[in-house]
Amino acid sequence: MTSLKLFAWLTLLFPLAGCITIALLGRRLPGRSAGYLGTGALALSFASAIGALLSLLDSDHEHRQVVAVAWDYAASAGVDAQLSLLVDPLSVFMILVVSGVSMLIHAYSISYMDSDRGYARFFAYLNFFVFSMLLLVLAGNFLVLIVGWAFVGAASYLLISYWYRRTTATGAGIKAFVINVLGDVGLVLGTFFIFKHVGTLDFLGAFESAREELEPGNADLTAGLILVLVGAFAKSAQIPLHTWLPDAMEGPTPVSALIHAATMVTAGVYLIARMHPLFELAPTAADIGAVIGCLTLLVAGTIAIAVTDLKRVIAYSTMSQIGYMIMGVSAGAYAGGLFHLMTHAFFKALLFMAAGSVIAAMAGQQNLDKMGGFRKAMPFTFGCMVIGGLALAAVPPFSGFFSKDEILLLIGDRGGWYWILYAAGYVGAFLTGVYTFRMIFRAFLGAPVPEARELQEGHLHHAEVHTNPNNGEVEDTDVGFPGADHHIAEREPSMKLAMGVLALLAIAGGFLQVPKITHVIDSFLEPTFEESALYHRELSDGLISFGLVLGAVVGLAGIAVAYLIWVRKPQIAASVRQRLSPLHRLFVNKWYFDELIDAVVTRPALWFGAWAQQTFERVFVNGLLVGGTSGIVRAGSSAVRAAQTGFLRYYAALIVLGMVVLSFYFLLNA
Amino acid sequence: MTLHLSIMLWLPLAFGVIGLFAPPRLAGRIALAGTGLALAYAITYVVDYDSGAAGLQYVTDETWIGELGISYKLGIDGLNLLLVALTAILWFACTLWANLREVERSRLFYFHMAFAETAVLGALLAQDLALFTVFFDLMLVPFFFLTGMWGGARRVQATMKLVIYTLVGSLLMLTAAVATGVLAAEGDLPLSFAFSDLAQRPLGESSQQWIFLFFAAAFLVKMPAFPLHGWMPDGYRTMPLPALAVFSGVLSKVAAYGFLRVCLPLFPDASEQFQMLLLLIALASILYGSAMAFTTTEARLILGYSSVAQLGFITLGIFALNEQGAQGALLQAFNHGLVVAPAFFIVALLAARAGGSQDIRDMGGLGMRAPALASLFLIVAFATLAMPGSANFVGEFYILLGVFTEKIVIAIVASAGVVMAAFYTLRLFITAMHNRTGARVETREMTFREGLVLVPLVLLIIAIALYPQFGLKRSEKTVSAVTAPVTEQQNAAEQPERVDALGVAAPEIEAVPAP
Repeated sequence: MTSLKLFAWLTLLFPLAGCITIALLGRRLPGRSAGYLGTGALALSFASAIGALLSLLDSDHEHRQVVAVAWDYAASAGVDAQLSLLVDPLSVFMILVVSGVSMLIHAYSISYMDSDRGYARFFAYLNFFVFSMLLLVLAGNFLVLIVGWAFVGAASYLLISYWYRRTTATGAGIKAFVINVLGDVGLVLGTFFIFKHVGTLDFLGAFESAREELEPGNADLTAGLILVLVGAFAKSAQIPLHTWLPDAMEGPTPVSALIHAATMVTAGVYLIARMHPLFELAPTAADIGAVIGCLTLLVAGTIAIAVTDLKRVIAYSTMSQIGYMIMGVSAGAYAGGLFHLMTHAFFKALLFMAAGSVIAAMAGQQNLDKMGGFRKAMPFTFGCMVIGGLALAAVPPFSGFFSKDEILLLIGDRGGWYWILYAAGYVGAFLTGVYTFRMIFRAFLGAPVPEARELQEGHLHHAEVHTNPNNGEVEDTDVGFPGADHHIAEREPSMKLAMGVLALLAIAGGFLQVPKITHVIDSFLEPTFEESALYHRELSDGLISFGLVLGAVVGLAGIAVAYLIWVRKPQIAASVRQRLSPLHRLFVNKWYFDELIDAVVTRPALWFGAWAQQTFERVFVNGLLVGGTSGIVRAGSSAVRAAQTGFLRYYAALIVLGMVVLSFYFLLNA
Repeated sequence: MTLHLSIMLWLPLAFGVIGLFAPPRLAGRIALAGTGLALAYAITYVVDYDSGAAGLQYVTDETWIGELGISYKLGIDGLNLLLVALTAILWFACTLWANLREVERSRLFYFHMAFAETAVLGALLAQDLALFTVFFDLMLVPFFFLTGMWGGARRVQATMKLVIYTLVGSLLMLTAAVATGVLAAEGDLPLSFAFSDLAQRPLGESSQQWIFLFFAAAFLVKMPAFPLHGWMPDGYRTMPLPALAVFSGVLSKVAAYGFLRVCLPLFPDASEQFQMLLLLIALASILYGSAMAFTTTEARLILGYSSVAQLGFITLGIFALNEQGAQGALLQAFNHGLVVAPAFFIVALLAARAGGSQDIRDMGGLGMRAPALASLFLIVAFATLAMPGSANFVGEFYILLGVFTEKIVIAIVASAGVVMAAFYTLRLFITAMHNRTGARVETREMTFREGLVLVPLVLLIIAIALYPQFGLKRSEKTVSAVTAPVTEQQNAAEQPERVDALGVAAPEIEAVPAP
């Protein structure tokens, strides 16, 4: 086995080993040791990922795509499913981001989750999640990809309903899981369509045979890829399969940072990038992806301006940013999309961590209306939030600026109707500036709320009665979770460390790829996208300069508007809300997507179930069939009629008798 | 250890009979020893089996009733190998489960359990249609007694339904079996019921049709499939748990196996003709079973209706009439048995903790002080809903792929069943284990004795999930041989010249006039 394959397997196995160890030891692990164990496993995994990176850079250009096979997983009847990994620049890029960011989030959780009774369970789930995500990005064929895909969904379910005493959490969990399974099914059916033509499940084999055999625009391929997109949309929370993501904020904040911001939700982006040879053969499917991404980024941006739950603001912003990435990779901006995936992982994890710190200071309260003035009480958190916010709003020279620019640049360069997407991207960028700084200004500026004043005096607020912030239900405190104690970054070194590192990355991560100056991402990923014409497109200098200036102006304008509305003249907010009340209602109600899905899917399904239960089963199955059959039997023979009132053994005897009589009848006839 | 199939077949019954004459408290131990030995034999077969061969292995062939052409012929091939193993595993688990509890009239109880195991093994091993029919009907006799004597409330009514349904099914099947043998013995050929002989004496198209339908009715009742599942709710509500676990885990699979063993090879024309009908029944079972499973609140019935849906998937795979579908169906039959039995055990544990109620509305918060039980339940639940990564998913993947290549629309509609399974299984898990604690609920961890049955089964689920190839590899050769006649049939239908050739080879035979 080459060292590259070895490192890939190790990256995958450390989190799995961590998960099993923590799960088996469970509550026997004293104090914070489960946290250290989990974080340690991730550190080893990250180290292995770096090992994989180094050995990849060490090999020749032609040998940068390696398939590692463990054993035949389900290979029979013409299906060639092995347990195999594909190690190439794309997967190594992904494992670096996933294991690196996850390691920091584990470190943050060591303190943040302290005092929670389910501490060990939490880290077992978290390790399992990272294992699943790494399996997803390392998968070498469709089947292993689907396995990783579903494991990630399961881990997400487990972590969303981690506080399983809350009915809101279990409800959000099942919603997320079912929508994710819908995505899995899309992926499976999509795989069938593709398999039908290429005859193999192996990625490299499938891509090669598609390139050779399929005409561009093949109808089956297009249908298959649209179904694959359903999978991508479900996991990456794109319209209309996004409704689970805001509800997923029921999970503990580190979970939101890890799964619902930095890693899992970007799986759809990875998927499209991985399947790019197929998408380039089916431009219609790719265009659908781009359009949906664009719609999502606009819709989510508008909702983020209206919601008042701190974590949900960030959640909608995540949706919106993933919209950019999906739009990018669908339109061919692979390097840009993946670059944005990376920088987004940095700054969005940072934002969630900072939000977690604020929520802790508010003793679990997440409503922005009740926050304010934390700037002095929590200077470190404030600093991190501002850095993350500037990166998110794409202000130069923060990382988000360069990566978002990279996506829009290529889309603009494609011309034609892509100009609509290009323009929408800048509208979205403006919205991003507004909602991000609306959130920051409302939480940190203004008059300090009592909790902030208490903290300034050196005392961390703890609520007298613990309630579920989402429905006000009183928590079962004897169960011990969520933990009674809260932890803020200012007081916990491990939280500070994780946030500090991410803050540095959020500032500097963009310099990896500055137009005309550095091309680290581009040239690293090149072997994966070698055959792609879109990847090697030459861009015009004029568009590059125009985009850089426009991006900077739009982002700053958004921030300025937020400042004007929520700091300088708060009365504007109220009057705007009044004047545009239908629009505001639309945004606050999240464009009524929940209601739509409820009416179109959930209700009919439940109605059918109830009808089957109450009417069909009773009248037809029990009445007509059971009654009818027994009626026929009754009428048919008086012997049977007598037997029905009698004992069981008659029935047995009857069967034997029947057998004998019939056998003889036929044999005599023969 | 001689690898003689008769030994494995009759061991459980022999021990059951011995148990009848032993002191009551020993009866359970004796039955356990019998089923344990059968398990050891089954494992030996699985290990020793030569996956490179398509034909029967370990064949026993004796003339039983010479004049009627009935032989006592047993054998193992890729179709029944894993199901035999499943039978042995689940019977051992259920007997162990019963052994760890008090059972009234224990001698009789264990005798019936043992009798049932022998009958099921007989139905699986039989390589003679008459022998198969005898064992298939015998299977039910012990279950009438188990339900009627050890069942819960309303057991008489439940037993009655069970009897009526299966009686009708059995008689249809018996008629069909006899007719098959008699009609096949055309001209000078001696009467024979051996599958190998029957496969070489194809019946005429019209005889195939009604015989196929008779068999199909018997199998569909046993599964049960929509709309012939009327006996299932009452039966599942009342059956004693160990009997229910094997009934749901194994007996339904014997019916599915029957399609593969009897219908496809012997009635290829009819299988082809009625493909759409069977696919639609399967599809209706999936959708209807799922819809019922997510509205009912009785834990046992959720599993019962989910089995209706799962058996729908298995039938779907079989009637894809290709290798992929059949491979998936067989793997799924094994997987489903392995998953549904522990699920029933878990439901029993839950009911014991919820004041004896089977209703999920009386449960809630059960996972709080029972992390081990919750983890096991979670694994079983994920396997039940066929999450990718479980062997159940591999089964469903093959089934759907097989159907997809044949009838694309049916595959797409059927996949809705996968989404619904996710919903009803998690609903069961969440309402039982999570949320607020119910009023009568007492949460406590699984005891060592309870774990003794559950943990090995769950470990087995994990093992097969890591290496589903284990099953696929063993069944591959036989499955491609079994599906070959039907596939040829399809090819023939596409090429008109070959229909004539076949028509000459298999002249039309008039059906025997109905009595």
